[in-house]
Amino acid sequence: MTTDARLYDLGYRGYDGPRDRPARAILTLAEFTARRVLGLGRGARHKVLPAITLAIAFIPAFFSVAFAVLVDDVVAQDLISYGDYMFIIGSALALFAALVAPEALCPDKRTGMLGLYLAGPLDRNRYLVAKGLGVVAVMFLITLGPLLFMLLAYVLAGLGPSAAETPKLLLRILAAGIVTALLYASLSMAVSSFTSRRAAAAVGVVLLLFVPVSVVRSAIESAGAPNELDLLSSPFVAFDLAYRIFGETPEDADPVTKLSTWLVTGGVLAAIVAGALVCWYRYRRLEAFR
Amino acid sequence: MEQAVVSARGVVKRYGRTVALAGLDADIGSGITGLLGSNGAGKTTFISLVLGLRSRDEGELTVLGQDPATAGIPVRSRIGYAPEHHDLPAELSATDFVRHLAEMHLLPRRAAVQRANDALWLVGLGEERFRPVGLMSTGQRQRVKLASAIAHDPELVLLDEPTDGLDPMQRTEMLALIRRIGTEFGVHIVLSSHHLEEAERICDAVVIVEGGEVVRAGALADLRRGPEGLVVEVDERADELASILRARGLEVTADGGVLLLGAAEDAFDAVRDAVADLGVGLRRLEPRGRTLEDVYLGAGA
Repeated sequence: MTTDARLYDLGYRGYDGPRDRPARAILTLAEFTARRVLGLGRGARHKVLPAITLAIAFIPAFFSVAFAVLVDDVVAQDLISYGDYMFIIGSALALFAALVAPEALCPDKRTGMLGLYLAGPLDRNRYLVAKGLGVVAVMFLITLGPLLFMLLAYVLAGLGPSAAETPKLLLRILAAGIVTALLYASLSMAVSSFTSRRAAAAVGVVLLLFVPVSVVRSAIESAGAPNELDLLSSPFVAFDLAYRIFGETPEDADPVTKLSTWLVTGGVLAAIVAGALVCWYRYRRLEAFR
Repeated sequence: MEQAVVSARGVVKRYGRTVALAGLDADIGSGITGLLGSNGAGKTTFISLVLGLRSRDEGELTVLGQDPATAGIPVRSRIGYAPEHHDLPAELSATDFVRHLAEMHLLPRRAAVQRANDALWLVGLGEERFRPVGLMSTGQRQRVKLASAIAHDPELVLLDEPTDGLDPMQRTEMLALIRRIGTEFGVHIVLSSHHLEEAERICDAVVIVEGGEVVRAGALADLRRGPEGLVVEVDERADELASILRARGLEVTADGGVLLLGAAEDAFDAVRDAVADLGVGLRRLEPRGRTLEDVYLGAGA
């Protein structure tokens, strides 16, 4: 006979344990969104596109680092610069934005999850903040990941900046990465707020990020339109801002745009705010309860 | 006096020129309350106001002692909600879905995992909890929604048509489950439905809404209380039984094979003796009352 027997009261019952503060719901949804977008905890087919896009974004960094490590007598000028990198991965960045924001926003509208979220300790503003955090966090993988990887590898290979210059370069990488991620997140979320269909939103994001650049550059270079027109193609202006943050000029020694740094910075920030406002306005009017 | 779980006074909600709620007055108390009415009566609009998801145009509304229009997040933290639609994220497993919503209702991760499993076992999906929701039947999805509504241990649960799409057997099981949650775990439940018999089976009280107004409300027992007397049903020879009972001074109305007896002190004894004397089988002997359908139709609905 044993005296160690215990009776466990298992099963559903009342809960009188600790509860998180309402702000915690924002972080929970942001994390859930980021994991969902990357296909984590989902089937293999949901992981394919994010993995391919991430690979495209990282491949130039890997080649540059490999070149630096394997080839003798390499100097920093032979390697891809940080400013150039943003420009090189521009297409991958746009494709990633077209993947991330629609996946973050559209299914919630389509499946009625939006109504379930708003029936809990979230309101529309907090919901959008959570989604924005999730989208921006995932965008950081592309806007910050390769640059930080290159910085670390260059420093370890002895090709990086001096110890005194490294913190300054790190801050520049963070500034450029954060601004670029915010811009792409804001614009892609604004487009995605108009539809519950992922494919339609993805097409819309691609059109918004690619078409104005082509039209505006043609207008300026061929038709002699004023340079300020560049402000309408915010991704292009964002690359320009990244060059200026890193203190670089493109290989042809011309600035990407012929605008002042203040105008470039203001243009990018205005585009971020405009995208966020469009998204906010759309969700304010959205019928979430059905 | 017990404080109402939900109290509405003169609540008005308009959508443009359409008046969805036209001065709704209701007190929803503890236990299980049926929110009844036909489609378009204003039930879903009322639920959205209770959740603080829409703003009312006029009137006063308190939910668990707070105004959801100004204290939406604190109120919703204490509420569980299962919507009418079945469109849930298809690739999520039931346990991930319920855990996620429990976390969204501010349960710490570990507690959310534990309670998601407990809630799914309670609703009979313990063995199926790792299946993707998209591969589940309508009945199973209804149970998943119920589990997600109770996993964070809310004080009030709003269930919008929880038996929609279920076959009779599943419906009976679901109603028994809701009744159990409302009685055994002390959760106040508002059951929105247009099936009167569901409310009749499990609710303590009902609020009947039509045209954006409450046309009847109260404890089910009070609403169903009809004229005093008995209902008697026998296998055969109902006419002879009626004659015998009349001869004994009882007021008897025959309705086919069913006899409706007026109130009398010795009515039960008289029926017993008469049935024994005739040697017929007694099918039904019960106090007269009204069904919820009588109440509903009597309300002009």
